[in-house]
Amino acid sequence: MSLQLLVNALVNAALIAPPAMAFSLLFGILRFPNFAIGAYITVGAFAAYSLNVSLGLPLVVASGGAMIITAVVVWLTHVVVFRPMQDQSPVTLLVVSIAAAFIIENVIRLFYSADVRGFNIPLERPWKFMDARITREQVEIIIFSGLIAVGLHFLLAHTRIGRAMRAVADNPMLAAIRGVNATWITAFTTALCGLLFGLTGVFAGLDLVIEPLVGWNLTIPIFAAAILGGIGSPYGAMVGAILVGLAEEATFLIIPSTYKVGVGFAIIAVLLLVRPQGLFGTLEIKK
Amino acid sequence: MKLSFTRRGLLAGSTAALVTPSILRAQPAEIAIGSLTPNTGGGGPFGPNITASHKRVVDAVNASGGVLDQQIRLFQENSETNPETAVRAADKLINVNQVLGIIGTWSSSVTLGIMPKCQSANVIQMCTSSSADIPVADKKGLVFNFQPLSPIWGRAIANLAKGRGIEKYAMMALNNDFTRSMMDGFIEVVGKDALVQEPFYYNAGQSSYRSEVTQLISQNPEAVFIPSYVADFTAVYKEIFRQGYEGTVITTSLSTGNQFKDAVGAAADGVIHGFPVPAINSPAYKEYLGEAGLEDTGSVQHPFGTAGRDQMSTLLLAIEKAGSTDRAAIAKAVWDVTTGEGKETVYNVADGLAALRAGKEINYSGASGSTEFDEEGMVLGRDFQLSEIKDGKDVVLERLEF
Repeated sequence: MSLQLLVNALVNAALIAPPAMAFSLLFGILRFPNFAIGAYITVGAFAAYSLNVSLGLPLVVASGGAMIITAVVVWLTHVVVFRPMQDQSPVTLLVVSIAAAFIIENVIRLFYSADVRGFNIPLERPWKFMDARITREQVEIIIFSGLIAVGLHFLLAHTRIGRAMRAVADNPMLAAIRGVNATWITAFTTALCGLLFGLTGVFAGLDLVIEPLVGWNLTIPIFAAAILGGIGSPYGAMVGAILVGLAEEATFLIIPSTYKVGVGFAIIAVLLLVRPQGLFGTLEIKK
Repeated sequence: MKLSFTRRGLLAGSTAALVTPSILRAQPAEIAIGSLTPNTGGGGPFGPNITASHKRVVDAVNASGGVLDQQIRLFQENSETNPETAVRAADKLINVNQVLGIIGTWSSSVTLGIMPKCQSANVIQMCTSSSADIPVADKKGLVFNFQPLSPIWGRAIANLAKGRGIEKYAMMALNNDFTRSMMDGFIEVVGKDALVQEPFYYNAGQSSYRSEVTQLISQNPEAVFIPSYVADFTAVYKEIFRQGYEGTVITTSLSTGNQFKDAVGAAADGVIHGFPVPAINSPAYKEYLGEAGLEDTGSVQHPFGTAGRDQMSTLLLAIEKAGSTDRAAIAKAVWDVTTGEGKETVYNVADGLAALRAGKEINYSGASGSTEFDEEGMVLGRDFQLSEIKDGKDVVLERLEF
């Protein structure tokens, strides 16, 4: 594998690691796989586009605004759609999340059409070292992704609210008995994940193009990374993202590019058969 | 409530019932035609011009008395450049509006998607699509394509690229029939020896195109040819630029419209693109500019709007020529009014109708091109144009005239 393919894999991983961690956090708290994450990412991309291109704000400011807007959308979706249905089975909620994704995407399509868009920043030529090339923008995405991973680790391991999040994820009833306000913790987690999905929307808009399906196109690799790392385990999601990124790049050396989209599906299928708890997840004991 | 009938009331009611059908018969009959255009989605930049052209021709003909003494009723639907939406719209046009033709479809997937329904209902189709499957799927001789098939695009763009002295190419194409067969046409002209590596395909909607681009430029070819649509090409091109490729990027003009230029900004400069264009020196094209309220800038405007004018004009002339609304007779008459030598050339529907009514044979020469059809209903030739993006604008490099 050439150095360029390793760089490519690293950039892929940096793109899907934050949303994979957010997906895992959401799953830990809400206990169902939320297919609306692609739509949340699309919201982030279009919110940043509106702030950056339509209102003329610098991309850094637009990104912050997009993260806040996405956090509000994710929290509102939780309050309006998922919370009233929290007693339903995970499969029901999964189907509802697909419906929510369709609704959000089509609302975006209604206002923005299906046109292709981009941020108001110039494309940059790469830095070259040895045989590999990487742009400043891609280095920034990798650094931000790494910072998010470290920040999330600090939050979960060393803060009071992080411990409360883990407690609610582990056993909501016991956490409630110990005085943890599960409603507030859930609201905080959904908003935090919304911030990460919003940021991913900005990254995806920079890396690909801004269009109503931009988030949906990332959904399968994100799921694969989260499942590979162990669903519900944010650290595992980070490692899973790197492995999925590598797998997508490496398979191109062996099989035609048109099958690349199947790599994520293949990883999900094999893991569910061989190690359903993923690399870092714990096997759930059902009574 | 008690209902009572009197003899007088019964007589009045019966008379009304008898008279009603004759009132309906007295209404002028209408010829229903469906216009199914890509007003949003991938064809969004072109669809509204096609729609407007259809309407202008119909309005003009209706104002001068219609065809076969009947008014034309136009039913317009948006395909959203989406086959599923298009099939639902075609269902409505065929079963509710009872149209005799559906014209204006743009993408091959839409044209092919609605074809089974059109064929089973004997509905004529007129399109600007490029898949080589279109003539194969048309079993009844009811489909007329106003755009060359994609291998012809590939051959024309290759000829224009070769003319610029480019000798070594690498290629990758979006994985669909339109772009695959365009790549085949390109290779036919440049030859396999001109390829620095095996061509390959990618899918739309991938989460990244990094490894594909790394592979594409790995041999540092003089030029890369990427048959594509705007959404995938924009993402691919961003990656090509970011990976530092400095050779020539060639694609179709469908991928390099304003959406692309806005999305990539100044980095778009240098991209070369080609596609079939109207014959800008033809009298019909000049007339079209006047009808659409456009200035003659000497460059191509409304590449698909012109085809829309030609579709509706051809269909109405064929109805007049056939002398009936029998679909098979109209389809046959399309060749009569567009193809063949020794006929009076007409450049608009009004002159065509007048000539037909005077008993003359006509050859309609359109705004999009000569509109001569082969025996499968595919247009025989169109002008092609190669342009380069310079300072965010398309600058014409060369034009191949049919």
